[in-house]
Parts: sequence; C-alpha cells; structure tokens
Amino acid sequence: MAGIGIVIAILVTLVAVLIPWLPTSASEQMDRIEFVYWFATVICIAVFALVMAVLLYSVMAFRSPPEDESDGPPIHGNTGLEIAWTVVPAILVIAIGVLSAFVLSKNGEAGPNPLNVKVFAQQFAWRFVYPDDGGLKSGELVLPLDRTVKFEMESADVIHSFWIPDMGQKQDLVPGITTSIIVTPTRTGMFSLVCTELCGVGHATMRATVRVLSQDDFAAWVKERKSGGGKPNAGAAIFAGAGCGGCHTFTPAGSNGEIGPGLDDIVSVAQKAGRDPAEFVREAIVEPGKVITPGYQDGVMPPNYGETLSPEEIDALVAYVTGAKK
Amino acid sequence: MSVIEHTSHDAGHGSGAPPNRRNILMRPGFVRAAWCFALFFLVGLYLVAGIRWLAGWDPVYDWNIIVLVGGLTLAPIGFLLGLGSFDYWLYWISGRPTIPDDHANHGAHTWKDYFKVNTDHKVIGVQYLVTTFIFFTLGGLMAMLFRAELAQPGMQFMDNQTYNGLVSMHAALMIFVFIIPAFAGLANFAVPLMLGAPDMAFPRLNALSFWFLPIAGTMFLCSFLAPGGAFATGWTSYAPLASEQPIGQIFFNMGVQWAGASSILTALNFLVTIITMRAPGMTFWRMPLLVWANFTTSLLVVIATPFIAGSQFFVMFDRIMHTSFFVPADGGYVLGYQHIFWFYSHPAVYIMILPGFGIISEIISVMSRKPIFGYRLMAMSLLGILVLGFSVWAHHMFVAGMADWLRVPMMISTLLIAVPTGVKVFSWLATLWEGRIKLNTPMLFSLGFISMFVIGGLSGIYLASVPITIHASDTYFIVAHIHYVLFGGSVLTVFAGIYYWFPKMTGRMYNERLGKLHFWLTFISFNLTFFPMHWVGLVGMPRRVADYSDRFADLNLFVTISSFALGASVVVFFYNMIVSWARGPIAESNPWRAMTLEWQVSSPPPIFNFDEIPQVVGGPYEYGVPGARHAILTGGGTPAAKEAHA
Repeated sequence: MAGIGIVIAILVTLVAVLIPWLPTSASEQMDRIEFVYWFATVICIAVFALVMAVLLYSVMAFRSPPEDESDGPPIHGNTGLEIAWTVVPAILVIAIGVLSAFVLSKNGEAGPNPLNVKVFAQQFAWRFVYPDDGGLKSGELVLPLDRTVKFEMESADVIHSFWIPDMGQKQDLVPGITTSIIVTPTRTGMFSLVCTELCGVGHATMRATVRVLSQDDFAAWVKERKSGGGKPNAGAAIFAGAGCGGCHTFTPAGSNGEIGPGLDDIVSVAQKAGRDPAEFVREAIVEPGKVITPGYQDGVMPPNYGETLSPEEIDALVAYVTGAKK
Repeated sequence: MSVIEHTSHDAGHGSGAPPNRRNILMRPGFVRAAWCFALFFLVGLYLVAGIRWLAGWDPVYDWNIIVLVGGLTLAPIGFLLGLGSFDYWLYWISGRPTIPDDHANHGAHTWKDYFKVNTDHKVIGVQYLVTTFIFFTLGGLMAMLFRAELAQPGMQFMDNQTYNGLVSMHAALMIFVFIIPAFAGLANFAVPLMLGAPDMAFPRLNALSFWFLPIAGTMFLCSFLAPGGAFATGWTSYAPLASEQPIGQIFFNMGVQWAGASSILTALNFLVTIITMRAPGMTFWRMPLLVWANFTTSLLVVIATPFIAGSQFFVMFDRIMHTSFFVPADGGYVLGYQHIFWFYSHPAVYIMILPGFGIISEIISVMSRKPIFGYRLMAMSLLGILVLGFSVWAHHMFVAGMADWLRVPMMISTLLIAVPTGVKVFSWLATLWEGRIKLNTPMLFSLGFISMFVIGGLSGIYLASVPITIHASDTYFIVAHIHYVLFGGSVLTVFAGIYYWFPKMTGRMYNERLGKLHFWLTFISFNLTFFPMHWVGLVGMPRRVADYSDRFADLNLFVTISSFALGASVVVFFYNMIVSWARGPIAESNPWRAMTLEWQVSSPPPIFNFDEIPQVVGGPYEYGVPGARHAILTGGGTPAAKEAHA
C-alpha cells in the first residue's frame, strides 16, 4: 500500500510541477500568493496520495466475488484513529489558515509612498485617473515598475471586478462604496485587465490594456500625456482618457480593440450611409444604440458619454475621429 | 414501463375520489388544472389592471406586474387546485364530507397514477426522480450548447445575452430542480421505509411539495419565452444587475420561491417523520446514516432556505415596487444582497451533499460487508457540518468589498469544515479495510464519489485560503471546483443511490454491465471535462464569459469535446433505467443482503410498507457480528402472531 501511495504521490507531484498552473508572476503580491499555493499543494498531494492509496489498495486486496457470502470482521471503530484523523487535519488546515492570514495582511500593505490610481468601471468600460499626476485620465492602465500602487475603485452601475491575472490581486467594484486594492508590479510588459464579475451583456469583452513601464518610461509617459492633453491634440487625449481604444481599432491612436467596430474607415461608412460624418460620429458617441454596425451588439457601449464628457470634449473627440483639423 | 405492483392491502383501496361521478372538466386532473390555470391567470390580470385603472396609473396593463401576479403566482395556484392538491382540505373547510381515510390516492396501480396527486411516499419518490431527471437532461443539453459556443474564441452560435441566459438556466435547473429535489426523491422513497414507518408524517403535504417542483422548473424554462430572453445574471442573480435586466429575471426570482417552498415543506415533513414515526426500538443511535443525513439536511433547509426566498423577493421588489433594498442612490446596500443570498447558498451546498454522504455510508457498509466505521462520529460529523456551515457564508465574498476583518475568521471556519468532512472520508476508507468488497455498480459510483469528492474538497482548501481565492475567485477554477463537488460529488451519489434502490423501487434488476459501462464513461469523461478547467482558470480565464482570449483556445476545445462525451454517457444510464424498469429480471426482496428495514420487505414494498410493525433491536450495520439483528420481522403480522411464531 505504501508503494501505491508513493507512486500516486510522484504522479501527482509531476502533474503539479510540470503543468504551468499559474501565470508567470508579475507582482510582489502574486509571488506571495504562489508561496501559499505551493504550501497548500504539498499538503494536498500528501492527503490525496494517502486517500487514494488506501482506496485502491482496499479494492485490490479485499475484493470478493459476488458468490462469496461471508462478512468482514465486525470492526465498529477505533477511538485512537478517530481522534488522530480529527486532530491532524485540523492542525494542517489551521497551518494553512495562519500562513494565509499573514500573506493577506502583507498583500494589503500600501507602504509609505504608494502611487494612487482611481479606477472607474461602468458597463462595459474601464477608466483610470492618476490624482498624483494632476488628475491625468487614461483608458489604458499604465503602471511604473516596482512601485506599490493603491487602486481606489468605484462603479457607476452594477458590480464589476478588477483582475490582472499575472498580478493575482482581485477586487470587486461595488456601486455605492469605494473599494481598494494594492499591487506592486515587478515585470515590465503588456498585460490584460479583465472584469470577472458577470455585469451584463458586454461582460465577456470588458477588458482593458495594462502596460508596466520602467519608472523613467512611466515618468516620460506622464509628461507626454500631460502635454498631449493641452490644446493641439485634445481629441487624442480624450480618446485615450475615455477608454475608446479599449474597444475600437483606430490607427492614429494606435489602438487595436475589437469589441466595437473599427473607426479607421468611419468617414466613408458615414458617407455611404448618406450622413454627415461629424453628425454620424457625434450620434454614435452620445446615442450608441441608434445605429448598430452589422455584426456588433446593442447595449455594449456605455450610453452616457453625452453626460460624462463635456460638449467641448465631444467636439474635440468628433474632430479627432473624423480626422478634421481643429 | 411496468408499474409498482403491491403485494397486499390492495383490495378495498380502489382508485380515485368518488370516481367518475363528475365529468372530466370537474374531476381533479390535468383538464381541470388547465382551465383553473387560465382562470387564475385572468383573475390576476384583471386584479392588477383593475387596481391600476381605479388608481389612474399608467399604463393600466403593466406586464411586469401582470406576469408576476397572474402568471407566476396565481396561475400556478390555479394549476395545483385543478390538479386536486387542495381537494381534501377544501372539502374539510367547506364542511362537505371528506373522502374517508381510505387512502384512495395511495399507491400506483397504472402508469397514470404517477400523473396524479398521489400521497404514497414511494410513488412521490419516483415522481421526484423522473421529474428531476427531465430537468437534468435539459440542463445538460444547455451545457452542451454553451460548450459548443466556447469551443472557439469569438462568437459563433449565439449572442452574449443568450449565452448568459443558457449559463444561468443550466445552473438554476441543476441546483434548484435537479440536485436538491433528486435527493428529496431518494429520501422520500427510502427514509420512511428505513424508519419502519407506513408513510411520511404528512402525506398530502408531501404530494403538494412535489407538485411545486414541476411548477418551479417550468417557470425557469418559460423565461426563454419572455421578451429580452431568459434571466441572464447567473444563478447568483446579484443585485443591482438583477433589478435592471429584462423581465425574464422575475421568472428566476419566483421560480426560486416555488422550489424553495417545496424544499421547506419537504424538510418539515422529514423532520416530523424522523422524530415521531420511528418504529419501536428505533432510537436515534440505531437510525441508518441516510436518515441522519436527511435529518441534518432538513434542519439546514428549514433554517436557511427562507434567506434565499428573502433575497429573491427583495431584489424583485426593487424592480416591481421600486423599493431600494439594493439601490445605493436611495440608501440601499448592494452587498446586503450577497450576505443574505450566501447565508442560504452556502448551507445549500451542504443541502446538496449531506444526503449523498448518507447514501454512500449505506452502500459502502453493505458492499464491504462490514459495520460502518465510527458510526457515532459519522452522525456527529454531520451535525458538525450543520453548525459550522452557518459560519462560513462570507467566503463567497472575499473579493466582494465586505468588511476586511471578516475575512480571516471566515477563512478559519471554512478551513475547519474540512475536519468533519475528512472524518467522513477516513471512516469510509476504514470501512473498506479488510471488508469483502463487492465491486458492483452502486459501489463503483460510491468509490468514484470518494475520489472525486476528495479532489473537490482539496480544491476547496485552496479556495478557503484568502490570498489564493483572491486570485482564483470568479475564474474557471471555481467552475472546476463546484463541478467536482456537485457532479463528482452529488451527482455520482444520486446515481449510486438510484442503482442501489432500483430493485426496491421497481421490483426489477438493472443491467449490471450497462451500469458499469455508465460508470466508467461518466467517470473518465467527467475528469477530462472538468480537470482542465482548474488550469484554464488559474492562468486567467474568468467564468461566465462567452468570448475569451485566444490563448485559452486549445484547452477550451478539449473541454468542449470531453463535455459531449460526458453528455453521451448519460444515454447509457437512461437506456438501462427504461429497459430494466420495463423488462429487467424480477428482483429479490434483498439482493444486497442489507440489514436496513427497507430490504426486509418485498420489492416493491407493500402499499403501507410493513404488514407488521417491525421491532428494532440493534444497529443497522451489524455485518459480521454473529447473530446480530437490526429488527425483528416475523412475517406473521401482529405482535401476538409473532410470539406464536417464536
């Protein structure tokens, strides 16, 4: 039986080690989550191997043919054994619990100088605001490497949930309250932010791009965006800040979202429909349900850009998207 | 399909209440149910429209409210009235002579008796199982539809709302009108027999509880016909999304009420039956563990189910009556919904597994030919789970934004639930040890259950740990975990129980080879379907999404193909059940040589279960103890006759 147990333990360990179960960690918090994960995995492999070894051995050793009418030995119990298998599992799970509590507390520490980022979610888009950088708005989440970020999160309508799989941390955004979460990115690159709480028809596509930059690159990005937010190209800043690029492909903005229709040929689409391009784009922003491009669904684009953006901002956005100089 | 033939007491218990005295429109039955259904709907319609017209509210015909009052509340009551569920009570209230207590609605003599309001717990048990397996089939077919959509990234067969609707419907059918009532069906059949009782304590209430169930399931399904499609907010139906969805949502809110009422009434019935109707000598410590399991489950149902009823009413009132339980702008508290919902829905997972524990305890002991190991600790661990089960609900809310300090205590209590559960697993293993193991179909399903449930339990350890669950919650890891617990756990025990009691229920034997084939097909395709979901979830795929990132494509295609194999495996089960029920070999009264009372009577049992009152003299699992008896049944009828025999 011990042999069976060892074979099962080796097999399960191979499954646990050879398959890349978790994404490559990209945050300090994920590193700690991985540590708890492996701690629990070692215990689980031992328990699983023990149970399966006893089960398989019993089936092989004590199987009896249907015509055998004898009974087994009348063993009713064994107090020592029963105490053991009550106490030992209790100790093991409490060990997991204590470690988890430490890690949870560590993963909730913002440190002395966090970067504050506000997250706004609504059906079905993400927006980010950097209060430490003069209220810079962005539709993609850009983070500096190795700096702890404290997210303060609000939802405008229903419950959404914030998750960057490689960074582990997850938190719901709940209408009516502000929730928060701590992430310290440890790897530069492109990541994906996904909504993990069913929030309606566009839930599956409620994603945003996450870019982790070195601290210098991040400072440069902030500077560029701040200057870009000035007069000459206001439309581009609004396009980025309102999160348009998360869903729409638009070459001038460098965006490649595929959730909504592409905007590169929107002028010719409007003209083909016999509409003034500027009017057509304005209507599509303010009343997205009015004309639905074939192959796309109503109800996915937020219907309230007419309220969240000022008339001047909408003018600039329309001008930017239609390519008109302003 | 053959029908349960009763060996005795049939004479004098002719069919139906004053038969054929009234025409088909007035007789209890489906014709009367149909017109009562329509009539009650119209009453609801004009009640709503009338009040709105008098009050001067616009529009007069507000279909949200008409559907709720007429369609989902009054019409089902009309249906029940027409079917005859209330006939006895109405006769009594109105002072007319009630049908004398001749048990006219007892037992099944033809297949038609299964479509009536029947008060025989054995018939009701079969009614439950057949009904729940119809919903199981529909829910499974829906799973295959959305698995087809998930075979590739992007959208192929359906739009997002339809997908969300299918996912939600699949879960609602499987949880509320399959697993929970399937256990109620098995227990309905087995518990009174195991107690040595002639029936449940309240047979008419028992019949009424059953007929709530097709109403609940049909209500869920009818939401597909509603404008805007079926309810699409998952089976959790979180506020505030649920109060802004199309009208199909209230079909879920109300369907849960009907299913919940059915559960509560059945649970009350079990409690009273178990407490008051045990045969002489059947002390609590001589009850089979299936009875203990249903006793515990019934306590859970009675205490917890009103909370889900409340949560669904509140979220519906926010829509219908413009209350603001969960509307933050008006002072509502969104997380309040989740606290109330999970205060039921966590204990609900024990409602969905404890009866299965009972079934497995019966089968493991009988098929190992040994007493159950640590009988008293097995019973106490059920009660331990019951108590602890009420202190862990917020582990579903670790990322929900609730008070931070709640997380660690809820984690510890969640982890501790592994202890009584572990006691059960280790005790089953110890029961196998040195036994004389008979590896037949019920036993295969029981052993399959233990191994799958251990995997589900261990993934539960990960999910109890807050840091890990912060990463894993709302991903496919959760989907994998719940299916290991509810399919690898509960559904395998339902199959085990059906094979085990099939000879007792039908009087015929199922086909053993087909049974084993069913087990292996299900066991293998189940693992191929659900094990990869752990992986795809941990690397980043959220649950409840119709579309996903390209990097998950290969695993999802693999899962989809396996899920079709899993669906196909059920066909073997249905074929075996139907053919064996119609033409299987006649079963002996005690094919498993079991000691519990249901096996001491004929297969199927006599109409009132026992021709004489059994005298219980020992424990139910005394296998291998020389000369041990669980109960004395001489076959001689009265106690006096018994003495004469001795």
